[in-house]
Order: sequence, then structure tokens, then C-alpha cells
Amino acid sequence: MIVQDIFSTLWIWTPFLLAGFGWNVLIALLAMVLGTALGAALALMRLSRFKAIERISSVLTELSRNVPTIVFQFYLAVMLPSQILIPGINWMLDIPGWVKASLALAVAVVGFTSDNLHKSISDWRAGRHSTALLFLPSWTSFLLIIVIASSTASMVGVSELVSRCNAVINAVGDTRLLIPIYLYASLFFLLFCYPLTLAMHRIKARMAARLPAQGGSR
Amino acid sequence: MRKIFIMVKQVALEAWKAAAMAAAASGFLLLCLLSKQAIGAPVKISETLEAVRNRGTLVVGVKTDYPPFGQLNSKGEPEGFEHDLAADLAKRLGVGLVKVPVSGANRLQKLEEGAVDVVLATMGDTADRRRIATLIEPNYYSSGVTLLLRPEQKVKDWVDARGKKVCAIQGSYFNRPMAQRYLLELMMFNNARDAKLALRDGQCIGYMFDNTAIQSDLLRPEWAQYKAPLPPAIVAAWAIGIAKREQGSELEEALSDVVADWHRTGFILEREKAWDLPQSKFLLEAKVLWNSEDDDVRPLCRRGVDRQWPAACRNQAFVLAADVSGLRSLGLWFREMTSFDLTVVYDTYDRGRFLKGLIQSLMLIALCVAGSLAVGVLGALIAESRWRALARLIRALGIYGRMTPPLLQMYLLFFGLGALAWAYSSVTLSALVIAVWCLSYYTGSSIMFALIHAADHERETRPDFVLRLANIREVIGIAEGPVIAALVNVSKGTMMASAIAVPELLSAATAIMTDNGNTGVMMHVLLVVFLVLMAACVRLLSWLVKRIELPHQASSTGQQAPAQEQGAKP
Repeated sequence: MIVQDIFSTLWIWTPFLLAGFGWNVLIALLAMVLGTALGAALALMRLSRFKAIERISSVLTELSRNVPTIVFQFYLAVMLPSQILIPGINWMLDIPGWVKASLALAVAVVGFTSDNLHKSISDWRAGRHSTALLFLPSWTSFLLIIVIASSTASMVGVSELVSRCNAVINAVGDTRLLIPIYLYASLFFLLFCYPLTLAMHRIKARMAARLPAQGGSR
Repeated sequence: MRKIFIMVKQVALEAWKAAAMAAAASGFLLLCLLSKQAIGAPVKISETLEAVRNRGTLVVGVKTDYPPFGQLNSKGEPEGFEHDLAADLAKRLGVGLVKVPVSGANRLQKLEEGAVDVVLATMGDTADRRRIATLIEPNYYSSGVTLLLRPEQKVKDWVDARGKKVCAIQGSYFNRPMAQRYLLELMMFNNARDAKLALRDGQCIGYMFDNTAIQSDLLRPEWAQYKAPLPPAIVAAWAIGIAKREQGSELEEALSDVVADWHRTGFILEREKAWDLPQSKFLLEAKVLWNSEDDDVRPLCRRGVDRQWPAACRNQAFVLAADVSGLRSLGLWFREMTSFDLTVVYDTYDRGRFLKGLIQSLMLIALCVAGSLAVGVLGALIAESRWRALARLIRALGIYGRMTPPLLQMYLLFFGLGALAWAYSSVTLSALVIAVWCLSYYTGSSIMFALIHAADHERETRPDFVLRLANIREVIGIAEGPVIAALVNVSKGTMMASAIAVPELLSAATAIMTDNGNTGVMMHVLLVVFLVLMAACVRLLSWLVKRIELPHQASSTGQQAPAQEQGAKP
């Protein structure tokens, strides 16, 4: 296989690989949405006037920080049924593999949101609105980390980018394709994450510059 | 934080107390039941044995279509290995023998309706059969799975058969475990004839079936050049069966004594040889066991006060908690009470595998933490150095390392580079080294940027500040939050190494699950073990980083330095 062949093979499979990367982004987005909703609830509970509620929230946050995502992903893949009957309305809810991967990743998002939003809400209530808004760029940076982490979904058989690379290698049957295709796939992640990271850093810097000088402490 | 910890500790203590009380109570109950059984038990009178004595004959169900265990000779008379055993049974009971041909499908039915007194017909000892019949211990024979190999095959053990095509019959219980354990490529056929035809045509290297059946095939001229050299796998013991209601009766005890004597005297080994069966490991080991003595020079296998054989002389698959002592007893008791099969606790083999995986995981974590710190510190020092070009290169590499999944890098090195290395220099790359490198590169890049950001932040107040080895501990102090978070993450990420077959805890747990079928239990165990491990890691790593760092000098600005992306990452 000469260099040209390698490039044309990569080109032929690009739509297939791109669709795989789409799954990575989708898994990460769902994880962020679910994790942020739960994490926000925990953050509010941590600010509760009732000591017991605050404690429960702290314990749950601590727990979600300690859950190893990869093991939890295996756990959900095996233990969670693929269909759940919603009682009452008699409706079967499908839980495909990629949703299970999202649920596992969401646990990490819960811990992140609980910690960061807790600070932001305190800032907001204290009138430091622009400091509180720093949560948004942090959230986006964390989304990128989750996009990268979503590649582990290939270990439980979700057809995202990394497992599609292996599928292509099997289909083409040429081991010389190994290095080019993995490098090509890593470019997908790099080209998606790097510009967004740069943009978020810039936004953050601009937001920080606008902060009133005396209110610098968070 | 401390309060929460104390609270959790108290809750755990309470739960533990409650569990211990429940355990003690049920243990006591069990003891009462058992002792009642043990003391008040003269041997139960056997209806079957009385009937046998009255009629003067013992009716035994045997096979006649399973040479050489049971077959018809040229004169049409039934004979075979098991027929000899049946004859000896009748002789020892002092009665005549009547043989009734039975099949695998009807043998237990005939026993239940009283058409035969005893079944001695190549019957495997399983929990399902024990529910509908009384099976005699000790077991008298055993069989397992082997391959009937084509004459030209040079396969010597199961490892050689890995990845080879093997003909098999659909629906055999051993297909799945054999394929998983020995990575065979099974070609499934509907029946034995088709599978054997395919073998003859060279479609596969061997035909997979029960080793005793294959032994009898080998006696036929059509398979003259074929062979079956592989040791039997997934071995199941064979047992004599009597009716369910005869449990604990005089008949069970008499038959049990006869089989024990067969093992002690070597009678059964001698019969095996007489029928040209290859010497089985099971019988050799049984002979040694039933002739061994304990410390008081008394036979090891002798009946206790409860008239039972000691646990060491029983079929291990059916030993109950009450029969054994120590950890194994606790584990089996737990299984009986909760159907939670904690083989990792009580089974020596599984426990060994699990501990090995745990040690491997701990080692991975330690290596990855050290590697990440080294990569991060070294990278930051170079990126801040005077050599502009090198600094740029390192920053670029750092961005690449941070923005691409470590799993992808592992595949790239393990399969991509591994194939190249093998092709050009026949070197194999160590999976462990690759895993440690990839995880350290990914995490080290994060740490590098955290340190650079900390240095940038410092420059806001001290414009001439440059990151050097002399002040690195101080800078680690400023970047404490992100550094600890990154190290915790790499500890969690070590499970990724199982993707390239590093035998760490996740791989070990998966192997135990497929062998025992206790998937749910193992998943829970795995999750709990990792939660505990990670909680310990978080504490240990914070302690470690606090030991490394130096307190910051310019305190007012330093503390709230780059607080980006703190908290839990996956």
C-alpha cells in the first residue's frame, strides 16, 4: 500500500468515521445535560439552610467524584437492562449502549457541576455576577474533556470513532493502515477540541478583565 | 468534611453490628438443625434394599450404546466397563444381577417409577439431577471435553488449538465456555454425524465432544489414524443414582461404601485398564485420596459422627457451608443465604486471580502517578526554558497529548507501532509500558499546562518570574488543585489498560465472571473495590502533593490562582 492508497482509503472511510465522531459528541452532550441537571440540584442542596440536606449533598458529591467512570460504564452495560417498562403508562423505554455510556460519564459531570456551580451561585447571591458567569467557559472546557473521555465507550461496544477505526482496519484487512488511521482519528479530536479551548480561554480572560478589581477573590 | 466522615463511619458501624447479629442468629439456627440431624440419626431403613433382598436380585439401569462403558458384544450380550461395576455391586450385596438398558433421556424416570433400583449409566453429577434423584458420593468416574484430531494435526495442548477451526454440535453446554476459554473458532453442526463428516473432509482440525465418547470412537476402525491427546477440560464427575426418597438410607450408605472400596483397592482402575480406556487422572487421584491417612494414622476419608464423609473426600461442587470450615464455609453460607456467590472471597483460585489483578492495578496507579508528574514537571521546565524552538515543540506535543484520547494513543502504539516493531526487529512491546506511557503523556500534558498557567499567573505580580527546578515546588503549590485533580483522574483511568490486555483488576474480574457466571455479584464487588480504592487514592494523592509542594511566598495573590477545571474529571 503506497502513500496515495492510504490517503484514498482514509478519504473513502471519512464519512463513516465522521459519523462515529458525531456519536462521541452526542454521548458527551447527553452526559453534560444529565450531569449538569443533577449537579445543579446538588449545588443548590449544598446551599440549603438545613444541615442534613447540606450533608447529604456533600456525601453524594464526594461519591460522584470517586466513581471510576470506566468501571461504572461496564457496570451499567451489564447490569442495566436494555429496555425498561415505565409503570403506569405501559411504555417500553429503550436504553441503548450509548445512553449507558452517557449515564456513566454523567456521574463525573455531577461532581464537577456540584463543585463549580456551588461557588458560582454563592458569587451570584453575593452580587458578584460577572465572577459567577465564569462557570460557563469552565463548563465548555469540561465538555471537551468529556468528549475525549467518551472514546472509552468503545470498550463496551458503542460504535463511536475509536471502535469504527478498528472496524475499518478489519474491513480493509491491511495492517499498514493501523498507524495512519489512528493518527487520523486523533486529528478529529484535536481539531474539535483545540479551537474551542482557545476560544474559551479568550472568553474567560476577557470576562476576568472586566471584573471589578477589588472583587477578585472567588 | 470531618463530620461527614464520622457520620458515615457511625452508620457503617451500626450496619456492621446489625449484620453480625443477623449472622450469629442464623448461624445458631443452622447449628441447631444440623446437630439434631446428626445425633438423632440411626441409618434410615431402605425400602428398595428390602425389596432387593426379598426378590434376590438387584435391577441396574445400564447403557448398551456407549462402548466401552456399555455395549452389546458379537453374540448380542450386554457388556462393558459399567456392566462390570454393576456385577460387583450385586455380588457385594449378595444378590443376583438383572440389567435393564436405559438411555440418557429415560434413566431417571425409570428410577423414579421403580423400574430399576440403581442407575449406573454414564450419568454426570449435577445440581439439577440431585434435585430429582439421590446421587452417590464418592463419584466413580469423570469425563470432560476433548478434541478428536485429524491424523496430520500436531496440536499438543489447548493453547495450540487457539484460533483454529473446531467442529462442534449445537446446544452442547460446553460450547460457549470452551470457545471463550480456549478461543476456539467453532463450526456448529446439528448433530454428531455432520460434525464428524466435516472433520473427515478437513473442514476443521478436530471434533469437540465428551472425552469418553471420543475414546469409544477411537476404538472403531474408521477413526484408526485419528487421536485425542488433549487433557479433558470442563471435567464433570459421574455418579451412581438411586431414588430421591432413598436419601440418607441404608442403601445409599451401602453403595457409597462400595464405591469408596473400589477406589481404595484399585478395582475400578483395574477394570478401566481391562476395557482399554486411557488411564484417567480422576481415578489415580481418587486412589491416592482414599488411601491417605491423617495425622493420627487413621484413614483420612472415614465417616464422621454424622455418618458423612469429610468435606475433603466429597465432590467439591456440592459441599455446603456446614461441611467445611474457615473462609470457605463463610462464603458458601453467604451463597446459600443470599445467592450472592462471592467466589473472590472463598475460592482460592479466584481470590488469587483477583488479588493479582488488584496488585497490578495498584502498580499501574503508582507508575502512572509518578510518570504523569515526571512528564508534567519536565515538560513545564522545557516549555519555560530559553531554547525557544524546543519549548514550542514541547507545547505543541502537550496540546496534542491533552486533546487526544489516551485509549486511541494506546491502540496506536500497541497495535500500530507493535506491528511495525514485530515486522522489522521481532521485538514485542510490553502492554504495561505502553499503557503507563500513554496515560502519563495524557495526564502529564494537563499537569504541564497547569504549571505553566501557574507561572503565568505569578508573572502578573513578579514580571521577571521564570519556572526553574529551584522554584518548581512552589509552583506546584500554586497549581495544587488542578494537579491533584489530574492525578486522581489518571488513577481512575488505569482501567483503560484492560483494552490492550494488561491483566489488571477489570480484566481479572471479567475473567472470573465468565468462568463462574456470577456477573452481577462480580460487578458489585468490582464497583465497591474501586470506590474504596479511589477514596484512598484521593486522600493519598492530596497528602503526596502537599508533601511535594512548598508554601507560596506571595500569599495574597497565590491562593486563588488558576482554578480552571477543578473537581472530578472522568
